[in-house]
Amino acid sequence: MGRIGIPLERVPDEALLAGLMTGDPEIAVAFVRRFQRRVFGVAIAVVGDVQLAEDIAQQTFERACRHAQVYDPRRGSVPTWLAAIAHNLAIDAVRARKTTPVDPADLENMMETITDTPERHALSTETAVELRRAVGTLPREQARALVMAGIYGMTAQQVADFEEIPLGTAKTRIRTAMGKVRASLAARQVDHD
Amino acid sequence: MTDNSGFSCEQLREIGAELALGVLPAEDRAGVMDHLEHCPACREYVHELTATSDALLDLVPGSEPPVGFEDRVIDRLGLSSVRRPRRRVQWRRFALAAAAAAAGLALGGGGWVLGASVGRPAPVAPIVSPVQPHLLTAQLAHAGQSFGQVYLYTGSSPWLYMAVDADGHSGTVRCQLQRADGSIVKVGSFTLNDDGYGSWGGPYLAGTSPVTGVRLLNADGSLLASATFNQSYG
Ligand SMILES: [Zn+2]
Repeated sequence: MGRIGIPLERVPDEALLAGLMTGDPEIAVAFVRRFQRRVFGVAIAVVGDVQLAEDIAQQTFERACRHAQVYDPRRGSVPTWLAAIAHNLAIDAVRARKTTPVDPADLENMMETITDTPERHALSTETAVELRRAVGTLPREQARALVMAGIYGMTAQQVADFEEIPLGTAKTRIRTAMGKVRASLAARQVDHD
Repeated sequence: MTDNSGFSCEQLREIGAELALGVLPAEDRAGVMDHLEHCPACREYVHELTATSDALLDLVPGSEPPVGFEDRVIDRLGLSSVRRPRRRVQWRRFALAAAAAAAGLALGGGGWVLGASVGRPAPVAPIVSPVQPHLLTAQLAHAGQSFGQVYLYTGSSPWLYMAVDADGHSGTVRCQLQRADGSIVKVGSFTLNDDGYGSWGGPYLAGTSPVTGVRLLNADGSLLASATFNQSYG
C-alpha cells in the first residue's frame, strides 16, 4: 500500500484523547494501555479491593470517553485528569460502602510510599519531586492528616475519630498541611518563570 | 469581602483546603459556592488548592490492573468491533453526536477545542510498537522555521490533531486540509494564546481524495505554517 505511519506511542496524550472521541477501537486500546496503570493505581490505593478497583478503573475510562470534549489542558495533564476522575469514583465507592475509611497498615504503607526518595519512582517529574519533598518535610501528624483527607477522602471528622483528636485540631492539620504544600509548589513555579 | 449570605473571605480560607480536597461535608458548603461566584480572589485560592490536591494523586504509585482489563474496558465502551459490530456503531453515533454538540457549543467550527496548551508540545515517547499505517505525522513549518506538529489519523473515522508553538503569534487561526485532487477544505479554527501556543483536534470527512497537507492561516488569511504528508495512501 506504500503507507508510512508512526506508532501510536508517539502521539501526545492530548492527541490520543482527541482521537478517542471518534470511537475508534484502535485509539481506545492505545489510550487504555497508556493510562491503565495510573488509573488502576489510584483506584486500588483508595478502595483496597481488586474487583472494586477494576470496576472503578473501567468507569474512569468510560467517563473519559464521554467527557473528552470538556477536558481542559490548562487545568492539568491528561493523566492528572484521569487520576482525579478515578479518585472521585473511588471515594464515592468507599463512602457508599460505609466501611472504615482506611486500614492503619495501608495508611502507614502509603505514608512511606509517598514520602519515599524520588529515585525509586517512575514518576519523577519536577513537580512530583518537589511535592514529595514538601509532604516529607511536614510534621508527621500533618502529613498523615493530608494523606487521609487527600488520598483516602476522609472528612475532618473521620480524621479526628481515627487519630482520637478534637475536630478543630484535625481541621487545622489539614489546612496547615495543604497551605504548606501549595506554597512550596507556588514557589517552585515562581523559580521557573 | 462578605457577600449577601454573610459568608466572608476569612471563613472561606478556613475551609478552602477541605473544599479542594473534596472532603467538606455538605452542610458546611452552604454559602461557599455563592461566595466563590462573586469573589475572584477566593476563586483563585481554591483553584490553586485544587491543583495541589490533584497533584497529590501523582504521588500514588501506579499499579498493573488484572489480566484482561484492557479487553473488558474496550468491551464496556462498546468498541469490541470484532465480537459486537452493532454496539460499535451505536457508540460511534454517540461519540459523533457528542463531538458535534461540543463543537456547536464551543466554536461551531466542525471540531472541538482542547484549549490552548500552556506548555510546549509534549515530548515524543520512545518507539515501542510497530507503526500504524493510518497514523501520520508531519511538522508544521514556514520559511524553514518549525511551528509545531500535526497528527493525522486516516482510519475509518479520520481525525487530526495539532500542537502549535508559534512564538510571536496569537489569536484565532484557521486550519485547512489539502487533498490530492487539489481541493482545499476548512476543518476548524482555534486560538493561540499570548505565547503562541495552542492545540486543537477534530474529525474530518474521509472524502474520496487523500489528504496531502494541512495549512494553518492567520486571521487575515495569510499563511502561518503548513505541513505536508509526502507519502501516498488511501
Ligand atoms: Zn473571598
